[in-house]
Amino acid sequence: MILTAAQLVAVTLIGGLVALDGTSVGQFMVSRPFVAAALGGLVVGRPMEGVAAGVVLEALHLAVLPVGAARYPEGGPPAVAAGAVYAANFPPVAAAGTLLVTVLVALALEWAGGRSVEALRHLNVRFAGAPAAGISPGALAGRHLAPVAIDFARGAAITLGAVLLLGWLLRAIDFSGFPPVAVGTILRLAVVAGLASALRLFGRAHYPLFLAGAAAGAVVAWLR
Amino acid sequence: MSGPGALARARMLLRSFAVQGSWNYQTLIGTGLAFVLAPALKEVYKGDAEALRRALGRHTELFNSHPYLATVAAGAIARLEAEGAAPEMVARFKAAVRGSLGTLGDRLVWLMWRPMSVLLGVGLILAGAGWWVGVAVFLAAFNALHLWMRAWGLAIGLRDGLQIGRTLKGVPFPRMGDRGAQAGALLAGFAAALAGSGRADVSVLRSAGPGAHPWEWALAVAAALLGIALGPRVRGAAAVAMGLALVAGLVLART
Repeated sequence: MILTAAQLVAVTLIGGLVALDGTSVGQFMVSRPFVAAALGGLVVGRPMEGVAAGVVLEALHLAVLPVGAARYPEGGPPAVAAGAVYAANFPPVAAAGTLLVTVLVALALEWAGGRSVEALRHLNVRFAGAPAAGISPGALAGRHLAPVAIDFARGAAITLGAVLLLGWLLRAIDFSGFPPVAVGTILRLAVVAGLASALRLFGRAHYPLFLAGAAAGAVVAWLR
Repeated sequence: MSGPGALARARMLLRSFAVQGSWNYQTLIGTGLAFVLAPALKEVYKGDAEALRRALGRHTELFNSHPYLATVAAGAIARLEAEGAAPEMVARFKAAVRGSLGTLGDRLVWLMWRPMSVLLGVGLILAGAGWWVGVAVFLAAFNALHLWMRAWGLAIGLRDGLQIGRTLKGVPFPRMGDRGAQAGALLAGFAAALAGSGRADVSVLRSAGPGAHPWEWALAVAAALLGIALGPRVRGAAAVAMGLALVAGLVLART
């Protein structure tokens, strides 16, 4: 195992809390992939490496809209796991290859997480409504908070599963001789495409502002 | 202004953070709304446990709204209940406001404010401001609006009751959304260019040399245009490209 037992427990608990933040409780957006991945990295003492995984996941999550009953991938718990595992592996034999595996597994688990949210919402129907005679405040609180507890357990389970799966995969794959440059470029292009996809949310009429921002970004990059 | 006391209001506000806790496909956030209303209804029906049970039961029926604006409905309903409004009128009011509270919040928060705040945080990280600065600025910017919406919503709901529709027509949400969209488009371009430059302050996004080669810049422009064209479908395309890169890398490593 890449993480210590204490780190594994902490990451799992954070995954559960982040799942709650996604919909059930708070929605302070601690569940955004780059924040969640930073938290995962922080647990193993390397938040910046956690953020590296988080920025890629965040770019690909930007245009996802959690509107009403729409189906959407769940970004938080897989990002916590991805941030923690990638950071714990640092410095990896092949950073780009390790990050590719981490991101691909996290994207798959985001999809699985979204399906599990959907299943939970079906399950929650049994807590919906009230008897014809009405409901006491205590019983109402119980009906409302039971799904919250289930959601926490769901998020924690996804995070734990993601850490174990990633840990196993990264041990199993031999990255020696992995070409870093071209793969790094693919990652960079994926992030660029993801960040640019946000323009669809803001409206293509804002193209001139997008181009002005890109010019400013290029200047900052040139000055660095 | 009639309605619940200060302690009950504070409890309603606190409970509003969990309004989506029991989200389900039958009553959506109906049970959550009743959970938020419970402190106010306990005051209204003090000493009449049966009436309280019936009122709580009524409010578990179907309801939906943007989670941050659910406090608008909760405040207005609490006031109507305190004024002794008929249950049928309260039900009609809930049915009338739920659509607009959803649309207003979705457009302003999910479509504009959140992506804009994310791009601000990510842009700062890519520019080298430090991971914690990017995360802190994002959380502060996003939650400034989030927390204000919840508190303001409860206050105007309690103040205006049935007249809340008129108040909502006057709020500057569309203008705020427009400003957010402009800032977001600017930040999207900024972050995309930094990420494509090979000089971003994230290790895996840095190129091996001093920066991206001209052909890499050309690829970055193409990737940006593809991302804009694909919108949310960019996830699938990127996953396929990364999967192919992984397989190709592993094959190359063994030959």
